[in-house]
Amino acid sequence: MPLWLLTLIALTYSEAFKDHLANPRNAGELANANAVGEETNPVCGDRLRLYLQVKAGRIEAARFLAYGCPPTLVCGSILTELIKGRSVEEATRLTRKDLLAALGGLPSRKQHAAALAIETLRAAIASV
Amino acid sequence: MNDSRKVYLDHSATTPVDPRVVAAMLPYFTQKFGNASSVHFFGQEARAAVDRARREVAALIGARANEIVFLSGGTEANNLAIRGVCEAASGHSRHLITSTIEHSSVRGICEGLGKSGWEITRLPAYEEGVVQAEDVRAALRPNTVLISVMLANNEIGTIQPIEEIAALVREERARGRRQLWFHTDAVQAAGRIPLHVDTLGCDLLSLSAHKLYAPKGAGALFVRRGVRLVSQNVGGHQEREKRAGTEGVPGIVAFGAAAKLAREEMAERSQHDQRLRDRFEAGVTERIGNVVFNGDRGRRLPHLSNISFRFIEGEGLLISLDLQGIAVSTGSACSSGTLEPSPVIRALGRNDELARGAIRFSFGKDNTEQDVEYVLEVLPRVVEKLRALSPLNREEMGRRDLEAIGQN
Repeated sequence: MPLWLLTLIALTYSEAFKDHLANPRNAGELANANAVGEETNPVCGDRLRLYLQVKAGRIEAARFLAYGCPPTLVCGSILTELIKGRSVEEATRLTRKDLLAALGGLPSRKQHAAALAIETLRAAIASV
Repeated sequence: MNDSRKVYLDHSATTPVDPRVVAAMLPYFTQKFGNASSVHFFGQEARAAVDRARREVAALIGARANEIVFLSGGTEANNLAIRGVCEAASGHSRHLITSTIEHSSVRGICEGLGKSGWEITRLPAYEEGVVQAEDVRAALRPNTVLISVMLANNEIGTIQPIEEIAALVREERARGRRQLWFHTDAVQAAGRIPLHVDTLGCDLLSLSAHKLYAPKGAGALFVRRGVRLVSQNVGGHQEREKRAGTEGVPGIVAFGAAAKLAREEMAERSQHDQRLRDRFEAGVTERIGNVVFNGDRGRRLPHLSNISFRFIEGEGLLISLDLQGIAVSTGSACSSGTLEPSPVIRALGRNDELARGAIRFSFGKDNTEQDVEYVLEVLPRVVEKLRALSPLNREEMGRRDLEAIGQN
């Protein structure tokens, strides 16, 4: 494994990123969820599952499970924070860029993690 | 959590330079700075130091001093050995045998040769991470020029049957075969287990200084007398025409000093590393479920442990440990910038999940019992936290529950 690359990755993660990795928000299953989405990155196998509890068009609660590299875990955690309390309509408009901005950016090679999170969100919303 | 605590468990990546080694090399920067090829006093002083270092490095592996070629490190040693021998033979033969678990430098060199028309046989390492000498016999062809099999693997530490392979090469020679050479990459093994080129029976052997408490930028290739190879660096007469370029005297001096210390302290160091490693593995087994140890545990380097943690991915674990001051290494694809997880772990027949969750812990002479205790305290917490996030974990648990109640 090229160590220089690993060092580069470690150095380019933001403080917000490290905080979400060390203390993931809203992790786990949601017992009374009425919407669930799961997506897998077909290339690297990373997986994200999102549980939503939607009441009267508003996301009351959101929880996630993730398998994969740190950006995937962190995107899951940040996503739940961004959508909690929002209307489904607002959540639908959320983009990859909003997610990247919230976590202080990602190295370009890792941005697919944000795309996976947005796809999972859309899948969950579609299942409402 | 203690914020300032740092535990380095990545000695297979590199080692800190021993202060005694630093002391030995320092005069060669400012006072004894001569070019070892110069005729005057300054040059002769540098030459004498390089020759002393050459004897020390030779002694570490039971070679003669004039069989040691100094160069920049393990990767260059592998390049000179494999490309050098293959180029010297390319007129008549174009087949080489290697393994599926070689260091990336050897993999890259063989890939390059493959593109320029060489036929490459890559031997399997099976579930235990050990190549079988019988497979070498089966792979031998009339036009085989070189066998390159590493002495000990860099990710899982498994020790390969070098002596048995060398015995096959000797048999072939006894039948009158002349152009067949045997190279081994001993970068991970040197200084950690006793090595003697006559017992091993190899013709070429690669070494790196920075894996044995010397600085980066120095290495050596053992070239047994009579082996023909084409220099990969041209334009000077240094190193008996095998490696052109002014010798990096301070690095070579340091390599010599480190080789001497490694020889004198090897038993003590490997006992120390092994005690810590075994304590660590016992602790992991006791405190963490769903782990898989990679590589034959009875046939490994004493300082290294490679463990797959199920349901989680290696880089997340690596960075979480790093945030707690613990430095390890992973073969996870994300970390290496490729999409394929560790080819070495995959070569053992492990699935993607296990390959992605593999972490290498490599101990060194400066690690302490307290380091191990600290890691054993942090690691289970971090693993548990990441597993709590994992959907794989739940499916497995769910499946097991179903099996238990007979619904599956």
